[in-house]
Amino acid sequence: MANTRDIRIRIKGVKNTRQITRAMQMVATSKMKKAQEAAKSGRPYALLLADVIVSIADEFEEVTQSYYVERPIKHRGILVIGTDKGLCGALNSNLFRELNEVDSSAKFVSVGKRATQYLSRTRKDLLADFSLPDKPTFSEIRKLVEFLLNSYDEGRIDTIEVLFTSFINTLRQEPELIRLFPLNDLDSMTNKLHERFGQPDHVAPKDTREILFEDRDAVLSEIASLYLKQEVFQLVLEAQASEHSARMVAMKTATDNAGNLIDDLTLQYNRARQAAITQEILEISAASFSE
Amino acid sequence: MAETEIRLEIVTPDSTVYSEIVDHVIVPTANGKIDLWQHHAPLIDRLEPSDIKVLKEGKVEYLAVGAGFVEVYAEKVSIITDQAILVDEDNYEEIEEAIKRAEVALEEAKSSNIDEAQLQLLEAAAKFEHARKIAKGKSS
Repeated sequence: MANTRDIRIRIKGVKNTRQITRAMQMVATSKMKKAQEAAKSGRPYALLLADVIVSIADEFEEVTQSYYVERPIKHRGILVIGTDKGLCGALNSNLFRELNEVDSSAKFVSVGKRATQYLSRTRKDLLADFSLPDKPTFSEIRKLVEFLLNSYDEGRIDTIEVLFTSFINTLRQEPELIRLFPLNDLDSMTNKLHERFGQPDHVAPKDTREILFEDRDAVLSEIASLYLKQEVFQLVLEAQASEHSARMVAMKTATDNAGNLIDDLTLQYNRARQAAITQEILEISAASFSE
Repeated sequence: MAETEIRLEIVTPDSTVYSEIVDHVIVPTANGKIDLWQHHAPLIDRLEPSDIKVLKEGKVEYLAVGAGFVEVYAEKVSIITDQAILVDEDNYEEIEEAIKRAEVALEEAKSSNIDEAQLQLLEAAAKFEHARKIAKGKSS
């Protein structure tokens, strides 16, 4: 049995660790709430934007603007939203498992160090990597979205898809792959959007509206890129909410485990102490007998 | 319900800035300002960075908005814009400072080699700050 001093040192060490994991858990909790709020407050904008796109596109006999037309898919373009830091349970590995099913012609853009590392380690075709701060602003997303749009315009990629961890609740986050571009099936796009935001019964208003601007193609491309930007922004925020809640859960488990370990060690320590005392008494009484 | 009511909704990427039933609203579009009342024909147009005048129960409110789109449909005016602010919550000093900041940033951007999109963004920001000033001026 280990001696009492060793056990005491270990208990101290575990206590320190528990303090750190508990602090991380609390930080993750508050960050998760903020990210969730931010993701929620952008929803009306996304919905309205989608409605406007649908109603504009409905007014035209045929939309020829390249964002709305599906072309033969040679290379899928997939944006992978991972995390910068670890210690968030199986979040990233669950996310990357989804990539096993993607065929090798796909090209990737990554957000977050973990995603970049994984993609380069598995020798995928990585076009670019971006890093975003915690709680990014709309304008910080711009560079990323513009890169995606440019790649799409130049024909390097034929779709824009996003792989991220969708936030279901604090305990459940699931990887999800969403296709954003091309916008060739607008009805299913709005339906999916409403479903994701918890309004599955939405019926898109079908009625003519007068369109007062002249430069239709320009407006169509402008509004589509706005939509893409908004969606990517939303998904990044949602992925961050997932990251923080996964970290929160992981850290809570770690804190609980540390607590259990401390209990066990304390028991061991008391036993060892008791054993030492008993030993001493035995020795003293044995000595007094022999006199 | 009075007869001349129409719902006005202004949303930005960050939040829903305004969502209320109003009497009528004057909105700056690419084709000039339009006054929207109940039963207005459905339409979609570009929104110009400027001021929105809201008339509600005899009172007048002003909002400053950035570039975006306006849709009128089913007794509802929906405004999608990158920025919007109620001028009542605004004050002059802040606006002046914001204009200065926006313009300095724009000048710096013009003199240095910056990409077109970024420049447009800064221009839009500067326009929005001016819209704030105009709207504030009208409301007081």
